[in-house]
Amino acid sequence: MARLVGIFELPAQVAAAVKQLRGRGYTDIETYAPAPFPEVDDAVDPKASRVRLLTLIGGLVGVVTGYALTIWMANNWQIMVGGKPFSSIPPYTIIAFELTILFSGVLTVVGLFIFGKLPKFKIDPAYSPRFSAEDFGVVVRCREQDVAEIDALLRKNDATEVNLVES
Amino acid sequence: MTPPPTDTVAGMIRPVPMPPDSQTNRDLLAVMKGTSWGYWFLLGLSLFFMHLAGAIWIYQVYKGLGIAGYAHPVFWGVYIVTFVFWIGIAHAGTLISAILFLFRAKWRNAINRGAEAMTVFAVLTAAQFLGIHVGRMWKSYFILPYPNQRGLWVNFKSPLLWDTFAVSTYATISILFLYVGLIPDIAIARDRATGWKKVLYTVLALGWVGSSSQWKAHNRSVLHLSGLATPLVLSVHSVVSWDFAVTLVPGWHTTIFAPYFVAGAIFSGFAMVLTLMIPIRRIFGLEAYITNYHFDNMSRFLLLTSIICGYAYASEYFLSWYSGVEPEQTAFWLRAFGPYWISTWVMIIFNTVLPQLLWFKKLRVNVPFLFVLSVCINIGMWFERYVIIISSLSREYDPATWGVFIPSWPEMGILAGSFGFFCTFFLIFLKLFPIIAIAEMKEIAIHEKAHGAQGAH
Repeated sequence: MARLVGIFELPAQVAAAVKQLRGRGYTDIETYAPAPFPEVDDAVDPKASRVRLLTLIGGLVGVVTGYALTIWMANNWQIMVGGKPFSSIPPYTIIAFELTILFSGVLTVVGLFIFGKLPKFKIDPAYSPRFSAEDFGVVVRCREQDVAEIDALLRKNDATEVNLVES
Repeated sequence: MTPPPTDTVAGMIRPVPMPPDSQTNRDLLAVMKGTSWGYWFLLGLSLFFMHLAGAIWIYQVYKGLGIAGYAHPVFWGVYIVTFVFWIGIAHAGTLISAILFLFRAKWRNAINRGAEAMTVFAVLTAAQFLGIHVGRMWKSYFILPYPNQRGLWVNFKSPLLWDTFAVSTYATISILFLYVGLIPDIAIARDRATGWKKVLYTVLALGWVGSSSQWKAHNRSVLHLSGLATPLVLSVHSVVSWDFAVTLVPGWHTTIFAPYFVAGAIFSGFAMVLTLMIPIRRIFGLEAYITNYHFDNMSRFLLLTSIICGYAYASEYFLSWYSGVEPEQTAFWLRAFGPYWISTWVMIIFNTVLPQLLWFKKLRVNVPFLFVLSVCINIGMWFERYVIIISSLSREYDPATWGVFIPSWPEMGILAGSFGFFCTFFLIFLKLFPIIAIAEMKEIAIHEKAHGAQGAH
């Protein structure tokens, strides 16, 4: 198997190239981008990020924890304050709100780590510091007899260079 | 490249060639390179004040809170004033990062990193004042609900406890927000660094390469963190205001406090962003990135929040008169014409009168004027909290219990030290991490390039 990396200047070109490659049945595609461009990310994988699931779980756990913590503790050590009931919902809503934000914020970052596959201990040899400058890269794995075809396809989509990184 | 025949593919492997680095990277990473005489002088000065405050705090621990001028009737002094001041400063970071992100206001990209860093350091500065104020800082953990042998729990009906939860949540979320935004930029720095910095950035970048799955998760996380931080930022200063509003002290017991404090916090935070970013822009030659457009927008925010503050001041006075409650009326009369009249008029002039000059477009983009104005607003906002806290406490219901509070030297020393602490961390941050979000600036640059290319077709 060989791997080719095409260098692009604009996100629309990358998205077009990736869509064509996927259309021809190549599935092992990775893109490198210097900044976030949803059109590129959606071309590789059109599904919405699953980070939102973790945010939701964090929020639900947070709100339940907030009310449970306050109501249980207030009843466990009963202090009468201003004649209010021990299980007093309005003030505890503030604690529940803060914990909702705290838990879902932390789980959002956990989601970034899980679905962004961070931390990554081994950096792909196809990655180059020029992708943290202003160039985009499309890395495709293909059979060696397809190298010529992919090279042509990437160039047709305005790749400025196409290089072979592995075979 | 001519496609090679398959049998010689292995012989054709070569590394991806490296073109010259992009202009954005060079300009923005240059801020982190080299340190001048002036930088070391400022850092030394900040460290001096930070250590001075540390020494005063140790002395205060030895002697007791009496040296901080805490005496009847004022037991919330300059430490609480300074706590509220720094928490207020911390609000602009999240406003700029989160709220302007949700509104897709792209001009925020030039200033959001500086504002986020400012937020984190301001929250950390503020948090220390709670410990300094209670005296026995080593028992600060008493305020957290932790299991203990006596079977005691904290009082969840107390605004002070809401504050603990609000401020600690805010500190955590702002640190996460800053770090998540920094990861792609740390990777940029990692690819260009050498020596110990390379090791540091390699660890902190977590192997970021900007692949599609990483950006996708990153985009979604930033969106969610913004969505979470927006109500959070509004809640934090509301909760801080309830520390006062939920009591029965004349001058504190008003329902307008939450929106009034939030507007004041955003006002002071934007002023602090200007105070910090104007010299940085000048010293590091970032005029191409922070332009008149940004100053114009920030000035409009200052003007808007200044008007909201002015409205709050006016409505406080009006309602104290209209309520017919004598202690309220007396408290407000004495604010303006009593022993604290200087603080009150500094607050009114610096926060509501001077910013009216921003109606003029010429002044909104006049950088030296904005710098002076932002410093005035910072001073005015510190005095706003001083007026609210000190003048109200010293003039409660019974004239027999009235007193006059004069800030003591340990309080002023620790106040100066708080600026030292804040500046120390900000200056170190400036040399270790990009102060302008590089990836986000590129996002704009590449969009412009793409649209230019389409126009040419």
